[in-house]
Amino acid sequence: MADLSIRDLVKRYDKTQVLHGISLDVQDGEFVVFVGPSGCGKSTTLRMIAGLEEITSGEVSIAGRVVNNLEPKERDIAMVFQNYAIYPHMTVRKNIGFGLRTAKMPRADKERRIDEVAVILGMTDLLDRKPSQLSGGQRQRVAIGRAMVRDPAVFLFDEPLSNLDAQLRTQMRLEIKKLHQRVGNTIIFVTHDQVEAMTMADRIVIMKDGHIQQVGTPSDVYHQPANTFVARFIGAPSMNMLPGVVGNGGKIRLDSGAEVTLDTGATPGQAVVVGVRPEDLYPNDGPALVRGPVLVREPLGAETLIYVGREGEEVIAKADGRTPPEVGEEVTLTAALGNLHIFDAETGEALR
Amino acid sequence: MYRNLTIKQKQIVWAWAFLALPVLFYSVIRFYPTGNAMLISFQDWNLLGTRTWTGLDNYTTLLSDPVFWQVFRNTFIYLLLGTPVSLVVAFAIAYHLDKVRFMHGFLRMLYFLPFMTSAVAMAWVWRWFYQPVPVGLFNNALASLGIPQVNFLNSTTNALPAILAPAVWAGLGFQVIIFMAGLRAIPRSYYEAARIDGVSTWTVLWEITLPLLRPTIVFLVVFSSIGFLRIFDHVFNMTTNNPGGPLNSTKPLVLMIYQTAFSSFDMGYAAAQTVVLFIVLLLVSLLQLWIMRDR
Repeated sequence: MADLSIRDLVKRYDKTQVLHGISLDVQDGEFVVFVGPSGCGKSTTLRMIAGLEEITSGEVSIAGRVVNNLEPKERDIAMVFQNYAIYPHMTVRKNIGFGLRTAKMPRADKERRIDEVAVILGMTDLLDRKPSQLSGGQRQRVAIGRAMVRDPAVFLFDEPLSNLDAQLRTQMRLEIKKLHQRVGNTIIFVTHDQVEAMTMADRIVIMKDGHIQQVGTPSDVYHQPANTFVARFIGAPSMNMLPGVVGNGGKIRLDSGAEVTLDTGATPGQAVVVGVRPEDLYPNDGPALVRGPVLVREPLGAETLIYVGREGEEVIAKADGRTPPEVGEEVTLTAALGNLHIFDAETGEALR
Repeated sequence: MYRNLTIKQKQIVWAWAFLALPVLFYSVIRFYPTGNAMLISFQDWNLLGTRTWTGLDNYTTLLSDPVFWQVFRNTFIYLLLGTPVSLVVAFAIAYHLDKVRFMHGFLRMLYFLPFMTSAVAMAWVWRWFYQPVPVGLFNNALASLGIPQVNFLNSTTNALPAILAPAVWAGLGFQVIIFMAGLRAIPRSYYEAARIDGVSTWTVLWEITLPLLRPTIVFLVVFSSIGFLRIFDHVFNMTTNNPGGPLNSTKPLVLMIYQTAFSSFDMGYAAAQTVVLFIVLLLVSLLQLWIMRDR
């Protein structure tokens, strides 16, 4: 177990720079999830921590030791790959034991470690099977087992759940989280799925185009997104973005004609974007934020998503699941002022 | 009538319509002559006269023919020397070429070139390499280093390996390409996982690369074994003045069949040898497939 820190990490392939000097400190035992769209540099960062990619500049240190020029095996890490990287010609036991090949310990100890890991992962009776005889979730568990058996300072997960079907993904998500609570090692987990990030992480690192956009707890990034990118990326369905202009006395006049009064500290005349999450926007007789006909309804059971407004500019709101408004019905949507997010229209940075 | 068939039946009709030509071709050009050769092996025939039934005579002659046993031995030396040597060399080249980025395509082309070259031209060039001084390349090189001459093609012990060398070289390009395709098919993450586990290059080679190349290796072993069991053109062209010589020391089974058939015109005897070759090829292939089967 150990803390990990990244200082001004840069990665360049020939002329293209994919990481622009990112810095991050991970506490001992913390579960940190890197999330972002493909090409944002999250996997590259992970592979640089692992030692599979050369570090162009900057510093990676694990447990207070700079590991830039250490081979992967010397970094005291273990990695779980997207395609699991378990060897099809070896039994589960051999696959899990492969991580102990170079460990200097008696054979009996190695066997005992493998058995212990198998017990934790609940696959004792599968140890003599070949990977081809296992299901996707079981293969995933073998890959995790191979990492666990080495008892590394840091676990690295590179999109390990993306090859599983939706149901299994939810289940494995839970298992990995339980595993973390049980073993307590530091975990760096890379995914493109914001739900995975939200559900598993102690802290989320949101990345885009080789820059860190925001670091924070799931609650932080959800309730106080640092910019429009984070606001849209986290949460499903995405946050509604309503363009507007700041007027006098904290008034914000939306392009739709509605007005809200909020203390933003923005200068009058500044173009802003007002963000409101679908669940904070609901049909009510209060002051209108959005008014318009219901275009589409998506019943989800407990609630119904309604798409309201003009075609192409519609907003998503949540209505009651039992008595949702009809399609074509004019509705007035309101939101509590405290639930509005204000962003600078130009930079996308949050103003409050 | 066709309209009344079920979809399944229509598919069968179409399948056979497309298969008709190859089936006909194989029957007339492959299976009929094969069957005929088996028949002739029990007969006496000089290609022009009448065929007379002789029962197992050709086979008993064959078994008591010392030349046949010599030739049988030669054929297996070609096989047992050629296949492993060519596979090990081809793998070593492919393994390293796979890691080279600099002039990769050019190097690959150089290795593949011999495969496209005519065996006859190649055999004659190598034949020239093997000549004594002042003609032969190898012996000139040896002489300039002060090493005594080596009798390549005129020695009963050296001639066979000397002929095998260009044969191995000729097939190398193909094997290298197939090995490289096999190597490329192994996911990179297998190697990355091994790097993180910190195992040695040897362990990776023996426990990951080679086991995962098994299908490639099975294919190449069977393919190259069949090639070496049927070796003919290199031997024939490098020993033209005395094919298969000196003293039958380089003669493979196919060359013996050729001579029996088209020099001695003893078709029955040649057919019996062909049947033996056929059975040997069959057994070797089946044996290899059985040994290397996926357990």
